[in-house]
Order: sequence, then structure tokens, then C-alpha cells
Amino acid sequence: MIYQVIDKLDNIVQFDSAKAHCDIPCGIYDPITAQIAALTVVRMMDLMKNLEENAPDTGIEFNNSMSRYVAVKEEHAEKAKHEIRVIWGDYIKEQHLEGFPELNGLVHKIMQLGSKCRQTANREHGLQFVDAINQFAEIFWKTKNVAVKKAIAPYAPALEVVYPDL
Amino acid sequence: MVKIIKIAGESLNPLYGDGDFVLVTKIPFILKRIKSGDIVVFNNSSYGTMIKRVDKYDKNNGELWVSGTHPDSVDSLEIGPVFTEDLLGKVVLHIRKPG
Repeated sequence: MIYQVIDKLDNIVQFDSAKAHCDIPCGIYDPITAQIAALTVVRMMDLMKNLEENAPDTGIEFNNSMSRYVAVKEEHAEKAKHEIRVIWGDYIKEQHLEGFPELNGLVHKIMQLGSKCRQTANREHGLQFVDAINQFAEIFWKTKNVAVKKAIAPYAPALEVVYPDL
Repeated sequence: MVKIIKIAGESLNPLYGDGDFVLVTKIPFILKRIKSGDIVVFNNSSYGTMIKRVDKYDKNNGELWVSGTHPDSVDSLEIGPVFTEDLLGKVVLHIRKPG
């Protein structure tokens, strides 16, 4: 009753509004983008190695393919870092850090590994990058009380990925 | 001194919802100091008029640290502290939207 009266008054006098603001788009955070980007990094490392082993020449076609693989590796390593930074910076709150005190260290590790993946073509760095981002994904879903499952991604490089078990 | 404000958004959900009305006033600041848990309305240079819950009040520096109750809410980690001069008031009455 009181609400209806004030609502009618609002239609006439237009009360000020206060934003109970959520991030935009509200609540849409998902580490899967970072996970796929990290898988792409390993895939590019594999393609680079394969090209070197099977087309060991320095012709224009070789250089063209190798340049493309390197460019995609660079792009996706940075993309994965960016996605993690956004979730860490915008979604992760003090209570999450209290619940998962290892999280800041893990994010720092991901940043470092992402840089190593850009600087080198060492597959081991790529695997560590995927693994660290999977750990981040597991914590992320736990903060939302969503169970997770681990499964092999159904595409090359066919590595284990943490998924929400919906 | 006393204002009626309409809430837009869900960051204080489930305590306060989109479309609810609140009565805010600065009078309680005199009668009773701001404390953690209070709901306040304030001006922010980026977001305009906002309503949030007080997490911490640093009276020495006149700063409030605020957050929403929704896990995805924008909070003081993002917008910085709220200064007491930017406060429009503290919520003293909540009129919930029916349904």
C-alpha cells in the first residue's frame, strides 16, 4: 500500500534514483576464455615444433607459417593473462582471498608463465601455464559453489581442462 | 534533509531490490554515527548516485569503504573510498517493491 502510493508519487515528481551497481555485464565472468587461450598457446608450440621437424627449410612458406604460429602464440598468451587479470581485478573480492589465500600468488604465477610462453617456445612452460589457469578456474568455480570436473579437451592439444560440473 | 530515493540495480540484492524506495537523511549522522552495516547513498564521479553498504568507516580521514551484498557488485576496491562530503544520507526507511 505504502509502496503503491510512493510509486504513484514517483510517476509524478520523479524521485532521484541511486544505482545499486553491478559490473557490466553483470556477473558474466568465466575462466574458460583464458583456459582456451592457454590451450592455444600449447597448440601453437606444437605446430611450431612440427613445422621445424617436417619442413626444415627457411623458405618463404616456412617463414610465413612460423610467423603466423608465433603471432597467435603471442596473442593468446596475452589474452589469457588479460582474462585472468579481469576476473582477479573485478570479480575476486576480499572474502574470496580470505577463503583462498593462495590466489594472489597463483595469479602472479600465471602472469609470469604467460610471459615465459611469449618469450620461448618451450612446451613445458605452456603446460605449466595451462595447469596454473586450471587451478585458477577451480578456485573461481568454488567461490561460486559450483562443482568442477576435469576432462580432456576434445581437440588438440588434448590437455586436461577444469570445467564447471553443471 | 530527507529524501526519497528509488533503487536501480541489484548489487544490494537480496536485502534491497531494483525498484525499491528508501528514505535517506543526514540527521542520523548527528544523532548516531555511521557504522559498519549501514546502508548509505552517495555521489560518485563515475557512477553518479549510488547506494551501498558500509564495510568500514575511517572517521579520522572521513572515508567510508562500501560494497554491495551481491558477489558481483562494484565496491570500494573498484571505486575507491567514499568521502563523507559526498554522502547524501543514510537509509532510515526501506519500502520494498511488492512481489
